[in-house]
Amino acid sequence: MSARSICPDFASLEVAWDAWSKPFWQAASERTLVMPRCGACGTFRWPVGPFCPECHAQSVEWLPPGQGSIYSFTILPVPGAYPTAAPSWRVPVLVEFADAPGVRLVSVLIDAPLDAIAIGDVVEPDWRPAANAKVPVFRLAVG
Amino acid sequence: MSATTGAAIVGIGRTPYYFRGTSAPQTIYELIGKAVFAALEDAGLSIEDVDGLAFFAAGFDCGTIMEQLGIPELTFSHIVSGYGGGMAAILDLATMGVTTGRAKTVVCIGASQQVGRRLGQVLGNLTATPEMIFHRIAGLAGPGQALALSARRHMHRYGTRREAFGEVVMASRAAAATRDTALRRKSLTLDEYMASPMLADPLCRLDFCLETDGALAFVVTSAERAADLPQEPVHIAAAAQVATRDWGRAFFWLNQPDDAFTTAGAGAVAERLYGLAGIRPKDIDVALIYDHFSPLVIMQLEDYGFCGRGEGGPFVESGAIRLDGALPINPHGGHLSEGYVVGMTHIHEAVEQLRGTAVNQVFGARTALVTGGPAPVPMSAAILRNER
Ligand SMILES: [Zn+2]
Repeated sequence: MSARSICPDFASLEVAWDAWSKPFWQAASERTLVMPRCGACGTFRWPVGPFCPECHAQSVEWLPPGQGSIYSFTILPVPGAYPTAAPSWRVPVLVEFADAPGVRLVSVLIDAPLDAIAIGDVVEPDWRPAANAKVPVFRLAVG
Repeated sequence: MSATTGAAIVGIGRTPYYFRGTSAPQTIYELIGKAVFAALEDAGLSIEDVDGLAFFAAGFDCGTIMEQLGIPELTFSHIVSGYGGGMAAILDLATMGVTTGRAKTVVCIGASQQVGRRLGQVLGNLTATPEMIFHRIAGLAGPGQALALSARRHMHRYGTRREAFGEVVMASRAAAATRDTALRRKSLTLDEYMASPMLADPLCRLDFCLETDGALAFVVTSAERAADLPQEPVHIAAAAQVATRDWGRAFFWLNQPDDAFTTAGAGAVAERLYGLAGIRPKDIDVALIYDHFSPLVIMQLEDYGFCGRGEGGPFVESGAIRLDGALPINPHGGHLSEGYVVGMTHIHEAVEQLRGTAVNQVFGARTALVTGGPAPVPMSAAILRNER
């Protein structure tokens, strides 16, 4: 039987945002994942900043990024648990999206069997409460 | 046709290397002072001769160094921005100083002291800014954890094996065995490597470099003046620093284009460096490769053209990087086994190799490569050469 990755507790995490990233967190509060695309040339950029690095336009539209999949991941022993007999494991995951080429979001993959995680696996966002926001985490897609 | 810059390293100095936090009650300025005075003595010069300083962002400042070491006047003082990636660029700065007449004697300084803080958790110590909040959510607290994502991607894309990471560590440990200065000297077998606990899968504990306190200093002057000083000059054949957008903030960004993600970010600086020096990878006799994490050694070997893209794993597994291999790397044991002072020990070893005084001397070494670490830009590297 394979151990599963943990879901960290974000209750005390204060999420910092600025004028450019605020729309991400507004959508997140409604459990919706969006990514920023240049309003002029259509290039996605991440993290979002004041200019499109391709065309220097400032306007941004926030769009659903499409199906997420694992670009890479690592498995970390959770401090305090290691190296006791019952370690627990946190899985940082770098996710790329079918409809948002060129950008990746790093977060954590929760409740995943550690020996079954692979690059390319499809993932779905889930949401966890932080002190002032809902933060996106990912789960392996079912089926 | 090979070229040179007209600058040379004429003195080297260092403190002992201490396991992190154990250099107290010395301050970082005491460590720096000991390294600087040792380097000046080695060069046959005194503190009054120093008119230039070059270092990189590392937690100390020019004014305090002058105040505590009694440097009367500087006409050149420059800092490379960024992290260990810019390490070798201190030689570029020093070269600029002494070849343009801005200074006669530039001292390059590198130091690290981890009392109450750890470089290995530098990401976790950062304020969770809007740009860095997702690293906090992910749980990426240090460069090694973030670079584990690159290592896994390299394995996925090219079939690189953990055995290759292990060979980098074992080769480092084999070199360190003879070094009094090395903090990890015990030999290592592949079975022992494989049994080491995972810290950031696919990186185990032994893939992470040491965390070390210490300071090193190097005295740079013109090649012309070097001829009159006591040590055999080690010429700075070329030094380069390059920042490319597709590498950028590196493990702080994680959005490098796919082809850059599985590199060490050093392709552009390598190309510029070889161009400046007028040499090719095959001309390098000994390479001092920034080894903060063993998989990144493999990626740098690809970036610097010692093997093809994706062939770094088989290249190291062939035995090529051992002392008797085609490309001896890190004969001092490197950051993985000797000590980690943000790359400076590599410059020290390059100088000893080219003076012919290294503990693990590469026979007949004439040309050495020193690389800065895969880290946020600028990336940097230098080629050093003797006159033999
Ligand atoms: Zn644009």
